[in-house]
Amino acid sequence: MTEVLDQDEKNLMVRGFTSMVLGRYFDKKIITAQRQGLVGFYTPMMGQEATQAGAAMALSRNDSVYGYYRDVTMLIYLGHPIEKIFDQIMGNAEDSSKGRQMPSHYSAKEINFMSVPSPVATNLPLAVGAAYAKKYRKEDGIVITTFGDGGTSTPDFHAAMNFAAVFDLPVVFLCENNGWAISLPVERQTKAEIYKKAEAYGMKGVYVDGNDFIKTYRTVKDAVEYARSGNPILVEARSYRMGPHSTSDDPSKYRKNEVQENSDQDPLIIAEKLMISGGYLNQAEIEKIKEESKKMIDEKFEERLKIPAPAPETMFDDVYSEMTWAIEEERGDILRR
Amino acid sequence: MNMVQALNSAMDLKMSEDDSVIILGEDVGKDGGVFRVTDGLQAKYGTQRVIDTPLSELGIVGMAIGMAVNGLKPIPEIQFQDFIYTAMDQIINQMAKIRYRSGGDYTVPLVLRTPVGGGIKGGLYHSQSGEAYFAHTAGLTVVSPSNPYDAKGLLISAIESPDPVIFLEPKRLYRAQKAEIPEDKYTVPLRKANIIKQGSDVTVITYGSMVPTVMSAASKSKYDVEVIDLRTIVPMDRDTILNSVKKTGRVVIVHEAPRTLGVGAEISAMISERAIEYLYAPILRVTGPDTPFPYRLEDYYLPNEARISAAIEKVMTFR
Repeated sequence: MTEVLDQDEKNLMVRGFTSMVLGRYFDKKIITAQRQGLVGFYTPMMGQEATQAGAAMALSRNDSVYGYYRDVTMLIYLGHPIEKIFDQIMGNAEDSSKGRQMPSHYSAKEINFMSVPSPVATNLPLAVGAAYAKKYRKEDGIVITTFGDGGTSTPDFHAAMNFAAVFDLPVVFLCENNGWAISLPVERQTKAEIYKKAEAYGMKGVYVDGNDFIKTYRTVKDAVEYARSGNPILVEARSYRMGPHSTSDDPSKYRKNEVQENSDQDPLIIAEKLMISGGYLNQAEIEKIKEESKKMIDEKFEERLKIPAPAPETMFDDVYSEMTWAIEEERGDILRR
Repeated sequence: MNMVQALNSAMDLKMSEDDSVIILGEDVGKDGGVFRVTDGLQAKYGTQRVIDTPLSELGIVGMAIGMAVNGLKPIPEIQFQDFIYTAMDQIINQMAKIRYRSGGDYTVPLVLRTPVGGGIKGGLYHSQSGEAYFAHTAGLTVVSPSNPYDAKGLLISAIESPDPVIFLEPKRLYRAQKAEIPEDKYTVPLRKANIIKQGSDVTVITYGSMVPTVMSAASKSKYDVEVIDLRTIVPMDRDTILNSVKKTGRVVIVHEAPRTLGVGAEISAMISERAIEYLYAPILRVTGPDTPFPYRLEDYYLPNEARISAAIEKVMTFR
């Protein structure tokens, strides 16, 4: 019995670790590709791998994610194919949102990952409505919604926290506190500690080291179980945004990079040590995962790059359930040769 | 039934046949809404289906969108349209765009009900007519009924629509008219205007709160006036408008909202682009002025029969 459990735990840890490695290579690949002019834009996730893998490991099939534009490692862990993530970044004909959104705005219905908008934290009130629907239908599953430290200053954060508490809804609010909202450090974003804001809503708030994917997993797992019985909860997972806000941003204008890649504070290096000390993987196995991940990312990127842009006429679809005469006319005007 | 009762009946019928229909808003439950449009529904359907929410328009609309995306059919109420602006980000960036930005994977079937317009001594913040804000956003359907029969039939159609609908209820008309209307379910189609008075001399295009005023002016006019009630503001019923304009060659547009970049501007442009050769006179607009909505002087703000008749006279005598 113990052995079976250990195998499950090992599989879970290896899957979590592998998603972090894939996430990191994905990030680096897109940043390079953006510099080469192969993709238009990207919001790097680097530094948040542990937070996202740990949180995703805590979820079950019936749970829904109302995420934000950095959640690449989470998408990978939850089983959204790497191909589809590339398709979104490239805005190609295979993209689930048909090339309509800027890169980093994922939508993955098959894993219950809600389409991501740009305006910060605006998916939070939707997560509350999603949780209400689950509760009303007596369905299993909780809703987790993610946002950065900047998101805690928005009216959406306030409204969503308040509504979730008042209606006793199964929502986990996961603040991926990476220390920065573009150029503004979290110390200037808020005077309070983020997890303590929960108290003002009559809600539980917890803090976790978001650089440690196992601690994050255990904390979010507890939070998910707590939420399942109709108790919303705020989890603050602290990490560090190792990259720029986006590929259009130059962080040297406002900060020194306090956390360097491959340093002791890099969540991937921390994870490698955890995998070895926990006996889940040895160094050779880790190297193999890295090698295979890099190869897979490189190959799939080249493969997806061959997919053309969506057909121009698709631009006019999906505005309404039934096309209006005005859009039909505009389509004719624009596509007429 | 008056319009309040007709709207209540529409929601009652839909709630009784479909348990995914849910009402949420400020004071909509126990209190039945400040205009009593949802009166009695919480007692009948329970607190899980008629939800009194905290005071946050953004929260109400955002939560309703999340419900709609997950298979419910929410009817959020915003107490006064004037209070909707904190929810505009949710309306414009979420409600209107989710179908498009998810490639059709996610949809938002909801009806956002809210009272509009003045004439009830509401001043700046209980009188606004903001339909143009919504009409300018791709993805939204904007509806405004002008009488109890349409109110019920349009609201049922809106609840059954797979698209998000902004349902603007002219609060001045809530209790202004009583009509014999069916107790049972019926629909009035979206995207279809209604020719409420046939005529051959001039077309007056209006909707919502101004319809009774226009009808009164039309009935007293020495000219044979055709009156079109848009019912759905967007997507607009192009064919009904153009067919009428081609018949009469003269157009007056009447709405309560301010003139500049109002719905009338779009109607006027649409006609000019497609039927200018049929026109005998410039298209005139009779609208609220480009001022905020005043409290004591609201009778001067609201278009009245005299202004409408004067515009009709002007297009009829233009040479």
